[in-house]
Amino acid sequence: MKSTQYSEKTLEHFRNPRNVGTLEGPNVAVGRVGNPVCGDMMDIYIKVTDDDRIEDIKFQTFGCGSAVATSSMVTELVRGMKLDDALKVTRGDVADALDGLPPIKMHCSNLAADALHEAIKNWREGVKPEDAVKATGGTACHARPAEVAEVEIANLEAYEGRGLFTKLDDLSELADQRVVVLDTGDAAAQTAIDLTDHTARVVLMTAGKEPSVSPAVRSALRLSDVKILAEAQPLELLGEGELERIRVHDLNEDEEYELTADAFVMLK
Amino acid sequence: MREPRDIPPPVSTGGVTYADYQSSKPVDPRVVEAMLPYFSQGFGNAASLHAVGDDATATLEDARARIACFVGAAEPAEIVFTSGATEANNLAIMGYALRNRRKGDHVIITEAEHISILNIAKYLEKNGFRVTRAPIDLHGRVSPKKLRARMTDETILVSVGWASNEIGTVQPIEEIADMLAGSGIVLHSDAIAAEGLVPIDMGAVPVSLMSLSSNDIYGPRGLGALYVRKGVNVAPVLLGGGQERGLRSGTEDLASIVGMAAAADIMTAERVDEVRRIKRIRDRLVERVLTEIPGSHLNGHPTQRLANNAHFRFDAVEGEAMILGLRDAGIAASTGSACSSKTLEPSHTLISCGLLHEEAHGSLEFTFGRWSADDDVDRIMDALPGVIERLRKLSPLYDALASAAAATEPPASTEKKVAR
Repeated sequence: MKSTQYSEKTLEHFRNPRNVGTLEGPNVAVGRVGNPVCGDMMDIYIKVTDDDRIEDIKFQTFGCGSAVATSSMVTELVRGMKLDDALKVTRGDVADALDGLPPIKMHCSNLAADALHEAIKNWREGVKPEDAVKATGGTACHARPAEVAEVEIANLEAYEGRGLFTKLDDLSELADQRVVVLDTGDAAAQTAIDLTDHTARVVLMTAGKEPSVSPAVRSALRLSDVKILAEAQPLELLGEGELERIRVHDLNEDEEYELTADAFVMLK
Repeated sequence: MREPRDIPPPVSTGGVTYADYQSSKPVDPRVVEAMLPYFSQGFGNAASLHAVGDDATATLEDARARIACFVGAAEPAEIVFTSGATEANNLAIMGYALRNRRKGDHVIITEAEHISILNIAKYLEKNGFRVTRAPIDLHGRVSPKKLRARMTDETILVSVGWASNEIGTVQPIEEIADMLAGSGIVLHSDAIAAEGLVPIDMGAVPVSLMSLSSNDIYGPRGLGALYVRKGVNVAPVLLGGGQERGLRSGTEDLASIVGMAAAADIMTAERVDEVRRIKRIRDRLVERVLTEIPGSHLNGHPTQRLANNAHFRFDAVEGEAMILGLRDAGIAASTGSACSSKTLEPSHTLISCGLLHEEAHGSLEFTFGRWSADDDVDRIMDALPGVIERLRKLSPLYDALASAAAATEPPASTEKKVAR
């Protein structure tokens, strides 16, 4: 079965999603699940009445057709429901309400139900919306502060002068290279920004949810071409003779993967 | 050989603006016409000894010679017909590795290869071979230097696709072939994405094995060919009656083979003009997308790319959702997003280029071809910005301010510098 063989109902919800947006105010909580690395991320906002009822519900979703449709459907299913009843809504209910999903897309319906449950949990625990959306990933979140001292990278010495840079006198040395800069504060972030003059590919890798930089550098980063790779820690440098890949620990998913890179900048 | 025509005969895409020529191409109606006599009249088996069989042999060898001519092969016998490109890749890599195992057990492929090559490589690894995957650069190009660094005394075969079927990057195949010439290491090239778009001449480039597909030059599906340079020994992977010099058993599909030969003739006559026309359409789409859609980027090589290929990524939107939106607008395109794949893994080529997973998820590929027209670009641009804008309104990731800043001159108050 093709991943896009959706029911008419799923397509209809994708084309005309219900309850898109965010909510604000004192009686609002939000649940966020997934992350952009996986290809889907959802925020579900609920506004709760004094008698524990979902008065209003909104969503924002980055993802495929079924990620959008399941988010839309879950908001329709639980609007007006008591929180305890909304907690009983399962991924199967969401998929059934859409007249089924292709098997490979069942995890999307899982995510939508999870985001709702996460919102209810956050409401009950008094987690503020702004704190909830700072966290990417509801369950698999092991946020750590970005401190270079914690990082132990295997094979580091072997790549000295072969793709590892602990200081950079001439940025043009890295022209047209895929550069990964480790977040060690403002100086590293500024170097990353400056490097975008020399190469189209600059990644700032941080163990935190966002780079540990001052507000001024943060806004400069936001407007720059630097890609932020958050909640990631380098584990090992790899490559034949010179640096080609970095083995990365995805702290959010607690998984490892390899990132292609020609240069790794770790300013002392 | 047929006379080239100014305008190719019409085909139907059922009202869809078709920009997915890399996935499948219409069979040229002139090719269909050439094939028709070989279903009910010239139906003989080339192995038969009677007059009907002799006619079939003559037809088969004539077609083989025309395809040999299309790729500049020295002899028609260097062309072996297969059931398609996948089988040609199997015959080339598995067939060569198994036949030459005594010479060594090491094979090199690249990270930009088609899935069929990757899976053949995995099969070889399970069967006692060592496989090394040579890296690609930001634009998807293999460096001959990095390839050379991976060669050992045990290396028997290097396989480098002529061009990426996905991001359209053309590899420095001549340089690699020249580097390997005289080394005893055989070079295989999967030329499926490149054929019909770049000149391919076996007389000029010392490639030993090359996979071809009929449909990729607007011939019938279900047929391909492997070019096997004279003196290169390959073991068959399909056993039977010993057709195709014993390399590919099974009675030859005469109608399809005649079709592929007709397609090759048309391509030889029309390629230069056709590529110029397709490139103009592609260039206009690239220019319009990058200037009119904020947060858009071109994947692959800026210049060393197939003339038909436009491969983008868009900030904060997911590929499958874009495909669905475009589908509703009557536009056919393709994506490297995980959410559209069978494995939920994003495109290996984009990841090897150094893109982050979230970027690979936002990729969108348009490929043009013989029946593409200038107004296809207009139809795509009538729909695409709206599809992306709608999805970004749903997306918690989209930072409109940042994308706008990246697309225009940065305000003087920031430390952002103009890239490149």
